[in-house]
Amino acid sequence: MLSLGTALAFFGAAIAAGLAGIGSAMGVGIAGQAASGVVSEDPDKFGSVLVLQALPGTQGIYGLLIAFIIVLNIGAIDGNIKDLTLFQGLSLLAAGIPIGIGGLMSGIYQGKVAASGIYLTAKRPEEVGKGIILTAMVETYAVLSLLISFIMVNGVKF
Amino acid sequence: MKKATLFALKEDRDALLLELQKNGDLMLISDGEKNPLEGAAEISDQLQQTKEVLKFVDLHAPKKSLFSAKPTVAYDRFLKEIQEGEKLTKQLSELSERISTKRNEAATMLAQVAALDAWTDMDIPLEDLQPTENTTYFAGYMEDAQVPVFKEDIASLNAEVISFKEAPEGRALLIFAHKDSVAQVKHFLKAHDFLDMVFPKRTGLVKEIAVDLTKAAQQKNTVADDLEVEAKTLSGRQGELELYYDQLATKEERMAQGGAETDKTFYLEGWCRADRTGAIEKAVASVTDAYELTFLDPAEGEIPPSVMENNALVRPYESVVELYSRPLPGTMDPNLFMAPFHFIFFGMMLSDAGYGLVLTVALYILMKVLKPKDFVGKLTMVVLLGSISTIIWGAAFGGWFGLEWKPLLFVPMKEPLKMLALCFGLGGLHLIVGICLKLYSDLKSGNVIGAIADEASWLIIFAGLAMMAVLPGEIGKWTALFGAAIIVLFGGREKKGIFSRLMSGVLSLYNISGYLSDLLSYSRLFALGLATGVIAMVINTIAGMLAGAGPVGIAAAVVVLVGGHIFNIIINILGAFVHSSRLQYIEFFGKFFQTGGRAFVPLALRTKYTDVTN
Repeated sequence: MLSLGTALAFFGAAIAAGLAGIGSAMGVGIAGQAASGVVSEDPDKFGSVLVLQALPGTQGIYGLLIAFIIVLNIGAIDGNIKDLTLFQGLSLLAAGIPIGIGGLMSGIYQGKVAASGIYLTAKRPEEVGKGIILTAMVETYAVLSLLISFIMVNGVKF
Repeated sequence: MKKATLFALKEDRDALLLELQKNGDLMLISDGEKNPLEGAAEISDQLQQTKEVLKFVDLHAPKKSLFSAKPTVAYDRFLKEIQEGEKLTKQLSELSERISTKRNEAATMLAQVAALDAWTDMDIPLEDLQPTENTTYFAGYMEDAQVPVFKEDIASLNAEVISFKEAPEGRALLIFAHKDSVAQVKHFLKAHDFLDMVFPKRTGLVKEIAVDLTKAAQQKNTVADDLEVEAKTLSGRQGELELYYDQLATKEERMAQGGAETDKTFYLEGWCRADRTGAIEKAVASVTDAYELTFLDPAEGEIPPSVMENNALVRPYESVVELYSRPLPGTMDPNLFMAPFHFIFFGMMLSDAGYGLVLTVALYILMKVLKPKDFVGKLTMVVLLGSISTIIWGAAFGGWFGLEWKPLLFVPMKEPLKMLALCFGLGGLHLIVGICLKLYSDLKSGNVIGAIADEASWLIIFAGLAMMAVLPGEIGKWTALFGAAIIVLFGGREKKGIFSRLMSGVLSLYNISGYLSDLLSYSRLFALGLATGVIAMVINTIAGMLAGAGPVGIAAAVVVLVGGHIFNIIINILGAFVHSSRLQYIEFFGKFFQTGGRAFVPLALRTKYTDVTN
């Protein structure tokens, strides 16, 4: 039987991968709608709008990354699940929250900026680089969330 | 940059422009409005038509391989306009029009057939469906549920209802009414939302008309199909069309600027690089000796376009600067200082030696086969150089396709604090180089007080803070305080009055938070490296699980490994490029870079589909 601590650690992994994944899904979705509109007018722009659409996809990856490390650390991948104390479990739960929430919100907003970048590309194809950079500005905060989540996960010793 | 002015005879103009275009060193400028040469409008129209035709051909021609290089054309051949191209364009343009006309006609007919579908049971030929002296008819649709009610409503009237099949619009109804009852029938029809049907102007039974129309539509479609086959055959000659397009496009560019003119002579102005004046003179002299060519320095207030010039290793990084903005003419070109950091950061973020190797080989082959030019070529080269850096960093951190193998430095995942220290160290160096560049440009422009108060003071503070960490005693503290004192004293030097000047100086100290957030921004070097490494690990773990499940599992594992790692490489190249560029744009360029340059776009042979060789 799993201890409560281990279950809480799973909860932390679920928050990290789930919420950040939602953020990316929404972001990529928002950008994708804009991208289809632009491609319907000019199919040649597919390449550049695809890059912009892909940008909000990283939050999901960051969330997966933290979830994977949590699951790996508690031994759920090689099959020797550890019994965590309540506080170890709570700590891992807390560690999943930054990238979960940070990824959720930054994913959505990055998607909105990516959509504007796609419209920018439609009007001025030569400025696609600036659209990409503006979109990447939002990602900074997902990166910071990822970093603190990682340091927290790393800080929980067994 | 020099400003070139050229006077020559009008009869030599075409030949001169051609030679200058081949030479590619002169960017023509127009005072106010452009003055295109005679016939330029026709060329533009023809170009537009060719563009349309190429779009049409694209639908029919066999798909080109992604990795096919542009065909090369010798310059002499490029100049000879092929009549075939013009003929082909005309032919295909007509063909495309005929196909779309036929298809439209067929579609209209089929739409009519669909509309008649509900009426096929009607046994009255359409030509007989006429109002008589005493009766009127109504044909149309009514919602099915309304029909019984309607029939009841008009039961007492002198009218008859025949109902047919149901169409999307409702039940098809034919109603005959005696002239005494017409007004009431109309009233009830309106009450039940009756929708009028207009029959096509044809004779015969509806059933037969529908068959006829279907046949006719089929015939039109067959004709269109035949035409498409013809178009397909012609589309095989796409190459000729593309050459023709390029010929027209270069001709259009050449004719866009005629310059000012008199009866016999014309006058052109343009920018050229100071070191290329000889080449232009030579190009002009090779055409005629009746010319007057002078090169002047830019006048006060004139902003010439800017060109960046770097050695072969740094040149690719010009593309990174171009994505941001060109430097103002006469200011510092940031490429030399930016390139090494971009190289380092890119590698740190991708940080997997295996990925680096794959990318280096793949991109090297791509450069050899496709030979991308200009901006795209430079950009590819930046990624290729970055891949080499990736090999170095991957080996340092022991990352090989997500597996750990003999790290030369340390493994970032196991020692995150060490890695963060490395990131901030490199970041600090990057920022300091940025401040030093600003210091240099301030000193060069004679702004000594600015250099001391705004840049040197911060360097002193940073040096002091570093000493506090390393050296014992209070020397570091006092150095930092000395730097801070300079800022308080001079930071507000524009303000009048001692009090507001000091206040403003103290507020300038607050910029430390800006430097701090700049520094923290470099933590992304670690985070993105982590993303590559852990996702590679996830892929390996999944593949490992699959491989344990028999032969099918092993096949699936191979698919996951190959597909997963390729996906990881692509998504992380994007991340590494965007974020290492961003560190330059925001953190580095913000310190010293002066933007606002214009691109130098000389009159040259700019082709889309072919490469012109000499």
